[in-house]
Amino acid sequence: MKAVAFFQRSYRSLVASSPEEKPCRSDGGGILFEDVEVRRGTRQVLAVPALKMNEPRIGVIGDNGSGKSTLLRLINGLLLPSRGRVLTAGLNTALCRRKLLPNVGFIFQNPEHQLIFPTVGEEIAFGLTERGLPASQAREQAIALLERHGCGADWVDRNVNELSGGQKQLVCILAVLVTSPSILLMDEPFASLDLPTRRHLFRRIMALPQQIVMASHDIELLAEFGRVIWLEAGHIRADGRPADIISAYRVHAMSAAAMDIATTC
Amino acid sequence: MLIDGLARPTWLHSIPASVKLGALPVLSLLLLPIGDWRILAAALAMIAAIFASLGAAGITRLKALRPLLPLLLIVGGLQAASGGLNAGAVVTMRLLALLLLAELVSMTTSTSAMIDAMAPLFRVLRPFGINPRKVALAVALVLRFVPMLLTRWRAREEAWKARSCRRVPLQLVAVFITDIFQLADRVAEALDARGFDAASVRHPPPSP
Amino acid sequence: MDTRAIVRIALFAAVIAALGLLPSIILPIAMGVPITAQTLGVMLAGIILGPRHGALTVLLFLFVVLLGAPLLSGGRGGLGVLFAPSVGFLLGFIPAAYVAGLVMTRLKHLSVFGAALIAAVSGGIIVEYACGIIGLMAIARLSPLQALLASAVFLPGDLLKTLATAFIAEASYRGYSGAIASRS
Repeated sequence: MKAVAFFQRSYRSLVASSPEEKPCRSDGGGILFEDVEVRRGTRQVLAVPALKMNEPRIGVIGDNGSGKSTLLRLINGLLLPSRGRVLTAGLNTALCRRKLLPNVGFIFQNPEHQLIFPTVGEEIAFGLTERGLPASQAREQAIALLERHGCGADWVDRNVNELSGGQKQLVCILAVLVTSPSILLMDEPFASLDLPTRRHLFRRIMALPQQIVMASHDIELLAEFGRVIWLEAGHIRADGRPADIISAYRVHAMSAAAMDIATTC
Repeated sequence: MLIDGLARPTWLHSIPASVKLGALPVLSLLLLPIGDWRILAAALAMIAAIFASLGAAGITRLKALRPLLPLLLIVGGLQAASGGLNAGAVVTMRLLALLLLAELVSMTTSTSAMIDAMAPLFRVLRPFGINPRKVALAVALVLRFVPMLLTRWRAREEAWKARSCRRVPLQLVAVFITDIFQLADRVAEALDARGFDAASVRHPPPSP
Repeated sequence: MDTRAIVRIALFAAVIAALGLLPSIILPIAMGVPITAQTLGVMLAGIILGPRHGALTVLLFLFVVLLGAPLLSGGRGGLGVLFAPSVGFLLGFIPAAYVAGLVMTRLKHLSVFGAALIAAVSGGIIVEYACGIIGLMAIARLSPLQALLASAVFLPGDLLKTLATAFIAEASYRGYSGAIASRS
């Protein structure tokens, strides 16, 4: 096994990422979009000339293909703007990716695609070992985090495959929380979960200190957020209090559905 | 779905698949004994003309063969080093001609036409346990799964990139593969539920 | 052969295809030439599914490629692949997978990593290159020495791949002990 570890270390140094980037210091601030445009080929996918996101709970709604996923991915640098720039926690997403990642957590729709390790403990500790913490310390912190969230220390060695969908998603969330990010991004995190699990996880998330930006089709849940942004065809159609935006969106959805019935078979 | 040859049907499409598949070995045998590079050059010119007659899509397909050039040149070079320039040119040109002829057949024959043309071959292999229906199912599954696997892999890659700046580790491939087994079991279940019985393909259901 | 076996074989054949279509997933770009991971899939097929099913997987993969699907690394496909000088390497995938699987089953007393490494080298290097060289000799009329020289350029990349195969086999086994057919 020592041979394996040696090979793994040498392999890792072979595939190390780009050299140190310019000094990047986070100011813990929110999110800022400046003259942002995303193009794919000749098609314009998203255009956000100016956007400031500092509220603690922000929801993003819109039909499929409206640009919700693109918007979220711009915030943590998974996508880079074709024009303009995005500042997250004071860091430029295009230049300061390495500093950015521990500061911004991203939760995807399907927990299956995010889980890498066979046990819960390894999965959660990964964020720390990735940043250079020795494995034993990382494991201790993982246990501490599990206990803080009401899961017993015995969770640390549980096999992820034994967990339910909701539990898996919770592990994904904890794996991201372990680096103490200031911002959490969530792209339809509850899509594969049943209603009671959805509400349970939502309650947990609402209790977190981080700033949360969530894209979701579940507009009932987003009603509790402080601000909702409505995206349509790559542009911000409306932005403001959930009560107003959500009811307007509902009206739009119903009329769109009615129109479909009229024009198709 | 993955195999669509050329988007627009051309004159070569209308020639039956069995004719094209049969012509290939015949033409290959004809080309084999030719030792004069000038004759081969003429053959190549004719083949190039056929490609051109198939329109822009034909030219694109031709360009897709570019990655093969280095190896072809190495082979030709080695031949030339030991047998002289003529030998090198002959070998390279002959290989190229055979390759292009095979490409022409593939480009202008749909999958189903190919499988149909191979039916007599399957009938011969049946006593060896090769069941054409199982083969057809297996082929369909492969074609269906490739785009799906690519999507799943990209999702995993994205989730990784959201947590680390490093290049994708081998660990991810291992997880991906264990994923495959779970997926395989679920698909097999779905197939069985739809009444596909692996045993019954040996004895086709009685006709109504 | 039951449904589950057919589906596993088809799915793994798709994995071989997918690994060829994503050239830069795992291996670093060496001297500007992207090394594809397709041979990795072939060796893994033998190691994970066992010699017989592994060989069938590769056979299915090649059959689908011959039918015209652009699943060979670089997006190539169709009958033309039989006429390329690399045809020996291509057809050699089948015995390579079989031998890799066979060696894997015979080395049960070794660690998964060690056994997989030896299996990958036996199948993916020794058998594969033997077939490739024979192919070059037959199709391109090269002498054995010339054929050896022509294929030598791929050797470093392929050796890296055997290491990668062993890693992946070991990690798969750790994650799910039923992963490797000969050890479940």
